Amino acid sequence: MSKLEIRFAGSGGQGLILSGRLLFQAVVLDGKRAAQSQSYEPTSRGGFCNSDLVVADREVDYPLVTAIDYLIALDQIGVAPSAAMMAPGALVLTDARLVPEPPEGDITLHQLPFTDEAIALGSHRAANVVALGTLVGLSGICDRQAVGEAVREGTPKAFLDLNLEALRRGFEMADELDQGEPDGKVVRL
Amino acid sequence: MTAGMANLHGNHACALGAIAAGCRFFAGYPITPSSEIAERMSRELPLVGGTFVQMEDEIASMAAVLGASAGGVKSMTATSGPGFSLKQENIGLASMAEIPCVIANVMRGGPSTGMPTRPAQSDIMQARWGSHGDHPLIALAPASVKEIHDQTIRAFNLSERYRVPVMVLFDQVIAHLLEPIELPAAGSLDLVERRWANGDDGYQPYAAGADGIPAMTRPGDGHRTHTTGLTHAEDGFPTQDPDTVTRVMDRLLGKLDQHGQDIEAFECHDTKDAEVLVVAYGISARAARRAVRQARERGIAAGLFRPITLWPFPEQALRTAADQARSVLVPEMNAGQLVLEVERICRDEVRVAGLNRVDGQPIEPSQIARRIEEMAADD
Repeated sequence: MSKLEIRFAGSGGQGLILSGRLLFQAVVLDGKRAAQSQSYEPTSRGGFCNSDLVVADREVDYPLVTAIDYLIALDQIGVAPSAAMMAPGALVLTDARLVPEPPEGDITLHQLPFTDEAIALGSHRAANVVALGTLVGLSGICDRQAVGEAVREGTPKAFLDLNLEALRRGFEMADELDQGEPDGKVVRL
Repeated sequence: MTAGMANLHGNHACALGAIAAGCRFFAGYPITPSSEIAERMSRELPLVGGTFVQMEDEIASMAAVLGASAGGVKSMTATSGPGFSLKQENIGLASMAEIPCVIANVMRGGPSTGMPTRPAQSDIMQARWGSHGDHPLIALAPASVKEIHDQTIRAFNLSERYRVPVMVLFDQVIAHLLEPIELPAAGSLDLVERRWANGDDGYQPYAAGADGIPAMTRPGDGHRTHTTGLTHAEDGFPTQDPDTVTRVMDRLLGKLDQHGQDIEAFECHDTKDAEVLVVAYGISARAARRAVRQARERGIAAGLFRPITLWPFPEQALRTAADQARSVLVPEMNAGQLVLEVERICRDEVRVAGLNRVDGQPIEPSQIARRIEEMAADD
């Protein structure tokens, strides 16, 4: 069975669980099987939060991540708990402002201004969706249209325009990285 | 929700399974990580003419559930951690007065407040023995979102058929797991409706026929009845006459044995020739499934026995699954609970060992795989 493991890590309140849920919807729309899980601390704001996704071509046997292929870290607090779970060669996207000490090891790391871009679009709260767009743009885990549809279906009306803008910005950031003109620092370890 | 594919959390699947089973009353007190069951019920029940009550605490919630059920409505509650402890006295009343009810318990790290957001499987013995006295009950342990939905429906069916409290035990991981599931069409479900007493002047509320299950009377149907937690005779009134007490307790404690085949559910994977047998339930069983598959790929004769009904434990089925086994491994997120039951059943034939975690982390497939290899090498 071929499978992919994805983790959105950071601090409670950053919309990580929503990102995981949106990506789940998108990959299921794309015809894949998936399981999305979450772990968090009793404090609902602050404290670490992981939102995990296992994507497979058939039914997911064990639904939790064991070797992460894609890590999106939006806050420093999310980095340490994932360190021992990275698959070799994993793609790691971290927030340039909120993750001063990104993970190290056999990974491909992009430090990107998710939060700054979200602020430029109107609210830091959209950083999770900027990151989601970048991840989908870079990885091709699912169709861009599918994640767009998931965002449209899964976002409350008041945030829909902002989230769609954030997603588009995420796609652009992925394209800029692909063209070798990254917004952030690119480190290959 | 309409039939077809749906992306659901475990807790929401529990609520929708309950509604599909005909549950029309929920009383509860929100507690992590079970709260989404109550939340979903509060939205769904009014849409189908049901009643949702947020009570002042867990003790009152359980009491309200018994009252509603005695009034003729399929009823449930959901809880976690300390809330499960608080419900225990009234769960005993349900066993004694034979009032059908369903209790979903999303297990989290304990004891006491413990780790509210972390998974555990540490209420296995409390589910069985948390209420005082010898008492009949059923506990089911689903391992996926789909199974939470289906076993919640089954919990109502068993509860209504055998007049016992039925627990649905799962953990924070599958409670908050999002998986695509196929929802059955409403008419396609096999639902059990309570057997009501009808038209007999000589009605005795606790007199049973050959199946050991007395018919209930619906309030207002005109039968004289009495409901009490005191030990009672067939007429419902308290008794301490030793012969009568022996007779009524034999029926009460024997009624589930009599119907074991209908109640005991389990799943076997590669058990026929398994030399190392893993016995696992809930999320740990999904880790075990991968570990067993990997062991087979490496040429180790490993197998998985997954009890879906934990109480009463499918004893004969385990004996059969362990027939060729030289060792049995029981991984669980507690300090060793169901392993005691497995030891009781298997210890004369095989070596039984536990694999335990009490750190709020799920057991990983690689941990089980390592132990399978060690046990295979020891044999």
